[in-house]
Amino acid sequence: MAEILVLDDVLDAVVLIRKILTKKGHTVHTFTEEEEAIGFAGSNHIDLAILDIKLKKMSGIQVLEQLKKVSPEMKVIMLTGYPTIETAREAIELGAGEYCVKPIDKTELEEKVAEVLAR
Amino acid sequence: MTTEKRPKEGDFLEVFQEVTRLISMVHDPQQVMDLVVRRLPGLLEVDAATIRLLDSGTSTFVLGAACGVSDEYLSRTTIDSSEVMSALMRGLPIAKTGIDLHCDHDGCAFISREGVKGTLSLPILFKGDVIGLLRLLTKNTREFSEAEIAFAMSLAEQVGVAISNSRLFQEMENQVNFFRELREISRLVNSTLDLDRILKTIVEKLPGITGVKGCTIRLLHPATNRLELAAASGLSEEYLYRGSISREDSIFKVLKGEPVSIYDAQNDPRVDYHEAIKKEGIRSILAIPISNESEIIGVLRLLSTEPHFFTAMEINFAVTVAEEGGNAIQKARTYRKITLLFNQIEEHERFLQTILDSLWMQLLVVDPDKRVIMVNKHFLETNSCTEAETLGRLYKFVSPWQTQDTSVSPIATVLTERKPLTVLARLDAETGPQWFERHLAPILDNDGTVSFVVEAVRDITDQKLLEQEKMERMKLQGVIEMAGTAAHELNSPLFAALGTAQLLRDDLPTEEMVEEMDMIIRNMKTMSDLTRKMTAVTGFESREYVGETKIVTLKTEE
Repeated sequence: MAEILVLDDVLDAVVLIRKILTKKGHTVHTFTEEEEAIGFAGSNHIDLAILDIKLKKMSGIQVLEQLKKVSPEMKVIMLTGYPTIETAREAIELGAGEYCVKPIDKTELEEKVAEVLAR
Repeated sequence: MTTEKRPKEGDFLEVFQEVTRLISMVHDPQQVMDLVVRRLPGLLEVDAATIRLLDSGTSTFVLGAACGVSDEYLSRTTIDSSEVMSALMRGLPIAKTGIDLHCDHDGCAFISREGVKGTLSLPILFKGDVIGLLRLLTKNTREFSEAEIAFAMSLAEQVGVAISNSRLFQEMENQVNFFRELREISRLVNSTLDLDRILKTIVEKLPGITGVKGCTIRLLHPATNRLELAAASGLSEEYLYRGSISREDSIFKVLKGEPVSIYDAQNDPRVDYHEAIKKEGIRSILAIPISNESEIIGVLRLLSTEPHFFTAMEINFAVTVAEEGGNAIQKARTYRKITLLFNQIEEHERFLQTILDSLWMQLLVVDPDKRVIMVNKHFLETNSCTEAETLGRLYKFVSPWQTQDTSVSPIATVLTERKPLTVLARLDAETGPQWFERHLAPILDNDGTVSFVVEAVRDITDQKLLEQEKMERMKLQGVIEMAGTAAHELNSPLFAALGTAQLLRDDLPTEEMVEEMDMIIRNMKTMSDLTRKMTAVTGFESREYVGETKIVTLKTEE
């Protein structure tokens, strides 16, 4: 089972993802503040990070860049309600494993997480 | 000759009658003089006779006629001793014998060679003034008696009367001719504004009328104030271009407005180039000023091949012709200047027209009566019309942009407000709507009144279409962006609600509750599909690329 970090500015969204993935046996750490999430990842082992692109102070892309600096092996799934070519290209270039568009189905999320972790 | 053969007193009457009869028959002064010198030697039993006339211009006596002496003798400079000349000038006759022996002047050699021994010199008087000399010459020693001298004096007086009368007669005849010719010349020079034709008329007509060989006109160049030959007739090129005559005394006098008559041009110091004058055969010259009002603008010269006294009548005639000519010349010069100015104006007009025609906009000029007075080529071509169909017509019938409602006419507004105005006009053509930007500007005179209104019209249809297209694109973009924003804002809560519903479904106790939850989930998924479609307008999807890498491509169609 994996250590998963979830960062989204919408609290309900992080709570839901935690519920879904906890049921799958993962340990889920949820954050709505970017600095807290980056700080946590710096001092704890994280297998997978699920990041929303639209955050409060930074963008998900900037957080992705920071996390990859702290832990290059960390796998990342980008989650966005407003997909654009630029953010998709940047995310892929910075090492994101998947770029999913909200609203994502519970099953689809479970499958994507399993798939990325299995790589 | 012997004294026995001399005419007796009884014969004097006969001779006098003969002479007066003869000279009364001719009216030409030259004929009178020729007749007198030819007939007197026979009648008075002398060997030769000469008549010299007083040239009042030089106060010298010039040869009028001679008979019985050689040309060489006649060409001597000094006629006689100062004693003789002094007596003659006082109007007294004087007889001399032995002049070949007692000679005290520079003409003695001529006298000696000619064999002249005695002279009777008589003044030719008219109304008490000396107008010439009559000299009777003998080649043998002869004494003239008092009676002969008195008789000869009477004859000389008759000659004086005859010469004067014939001059008067000729002048009267000339006067009639001159009036006729003056009218003709005046008609000719005033019938044209061609300067060269005026000058040609004068130099060609004047010699024929005045009986001289040639005529020249020299005009003062307005810029340099130097005399320049403008026209000539009857004279050789060699003579005409003999050199400048500006420094001749006669020219100085003429340029002061005074006519100058030169009887003996070949020797007279008032003219230069005596050799050229001789070669051309010129004997007498009349130079007169050409004036326009009080300003002297040139010199007219008449040149005679015969020794000729230009009479007051002739001089007056020539002066009158020169004045007529001067006025016509000045008019022609003014006309030339005006023509030149007109040509320049026309050239400027053509230049401006070319510029106006080259403008890629339609241009109209309208007068305060709202009549079109000018249009450019672009206007004519665009509206398929001609100048004849356009100029002079009312603006409302010419302008394709003008509405029938004159109360809102931009032209009327500019005429009233005297300020530039820009309006947009739309025309519905077969090819679609056309837009024009009309810029109307008043041209004001010094009083601030509108003289003209200039309208420049630019076709902005392409620009307008581009603007419309851009506006529509921006509207669409706004709609798309709004849809995307709405979708984004909906996605996060929808994700939370859908996921939570799906989690809850797993824990529901009854089949009925599961079915109800499935309905909720199904409807939320329909809403998800809708937000996906909304984002798909500018959205994309991911696909496999090489290895684990994925790339994104735009969805072109939903």
